[in-house]
Amino acid sequence: MTALLRYQAALLVRSQRWLPPVILYAAFLGVGVQSGQPVLDSLGYTAAALLPVAAWLVRICATNEPPAARSCTGAAAGPGRAHLACVLVALAAAGVLGTAATVIVTIISAPTSTAHDIRVEPLPAGAAGLLAALACALLGTAVGALTNWPLLRSPGRAVPALLLGALLALVVVGSPARAAITALVDGSQRGTIPVPALPVLAAALCAAAATALACALTTRRA
Amino acid sequence: MERESPLSPEGADPLLSLEGVGRRYGFRGPWVLRGVDLAVTPGALIRVEGANGTGKSTLLRVLAGIDAPTEGRIVGRPRTAYVPERFPAALPFTAAEYLTHLGAVHGLDRPAAVVAADEWLERFGAAEYARTPMAQLSKGSSQKVAVAQALLADPELLVLDEAWTGLDAEAREELERVVVERTAAGSAVVFVDHDPRRLAGVPDATYAVVGGALELGAGKGTGAPAAAVTGPCVLVEARGRRGTRVPPEAGELAIAVEETGSGAHRFTVPEPQSDALLRALLGARPPWHVVSVGQADDPDLDDALAALEVESS
Repeated sequence: MTALLRYQAALLVRSQRWLPPVILYAAFLGVGVQSGQPVLDSLGYTAAALLPVAAWLVRICATNEPPAARSCTGAAAGPGRAHLACVLVALAAAGVLGTAATVIVTIISAPTSTAHDIRVEPLPAGAAGLLAALACALLGTAVGALTNWPLLRSPGRAVPALLLGALLALVVVGSPARAAITALVDGSQRGTIPVPALPVLAAALCAAAATALACALTTRRA
Repeated sequence: MERESPLSPEGADPLLSLEGVGRRYGFRGPWVLRGVDLAVTPGALIRVEGANGTGKSTLLRVLAGIDAPTEGRIVGRPRTAYVPERFPAALPFTAAEYLTHLGAVHGLDRPAAVVAADEWLERFGAAEYARTPMAQLSKGSSQKVAVAQALLADPELLVLDEAWTGLDAEAREELERVVVERTAAGSAVVFVDHDPRRLAGVPDATYAVVGGALELGAGKGTGAPAAAVTGPCVLVEARGRRGTRVPPEAGELAIAVEETGSGAHRFTVPEPQSDALLRALLGARPPWHVVSVGQADDPDLDDALAALEVESS
């Protein structure tokens, strides 16, 4: 598994296909987050924007190998394990990106509530932001796993499905990502720091189920 | 349809067997394969034939574990390597980097993978491309990388789907020799190739995919030595210590073994297997002395082969 992870990580880094989502994420944060804004609001925005980026990263990893090369890797390691490595590398990349963004946003934001009347401690606020980002990265990974190879193979279906899935994952009632972001925004209004651990757990379950389904289908839909 | 496998020498446990395997794509798609039983034993060399679109590639993908059967089951999963027909190498690595990664995926540790990558590129005459980005390789050179990838870690099962396509003549011959070597070392090889002369006479069994079912090839390559002699042969004269027996590996590779004096033997071997035979003789304990190696074209041999053909028919 270590060899597979190294191979997939090297593929992702070398392919430079990670650049567009990272640049887009940075641009999105540059427009939406300004220094001196309330920290929890900005962290909610940071986490929400990470969800489509995580789904996009899964798409990049799942399509990085041409089918012939994927067959070679699959024969050597098992197609399910090879695909699991793809998804894990994408999740790790989203995790690194989300962590970096959360740290920067926590540092530049004002440690206050939305109305700037109650102080919000930056360190626990940053931790809450990390949890929300994790929930969004996990749910985005689930969306990416369900809307790419082996479930959807033609880009004409996969890309719209991915975008729609990412949007729904952010707005549908009961979505762990929405729950985590809402907790941050509500906390900002009240001047309290939430601990969105339950959404993280739910998002992790979604990601595990989606990834298991995708890996199980690697040998069924060639 | 043939249910019995002829490939069970001395009851060797199969590396992998397909039991009533069927495969179709989609819920209502036509069956590409149906009711396939096949046991792949260690050392077996199996050729799969069939017209275009009959399911040869699907059978190979099922054997390689890349495709799961829709019905039936697969028992056993040896360490497997697969070579596709075309290997469009749109990968952001040099050939050596890719092979090192794949070697590690195949289970080698990193230093061993680096060494194996260089060795196999060298063997297929692609050493000069080791530092070339894969995207710049020619079609033939990337096929060499695909072949090398499969051989890095001495797989127990080697699945070759028209792996010879696009290789130059030298690399094609080298791959034939490697296949014989692998089977002599106890690995199983299953291959498809459009060229009927590919490894002619060497396979232990030839199967044809007909209407989704697997049929044992009629009368050719089913293990009978005389039937197997279709390609050029090599004569090897070698001497063992007095009273030693012919190494069993060498006996299996040769299509005819004749004792010409005390300890001196003359082996007739299909050309692709000659290197493996020499290796078996020189590697035997105690090693044999190779007296001469030559083309098999003397009349004695022709007589001997004619006699064998009469015997088997």
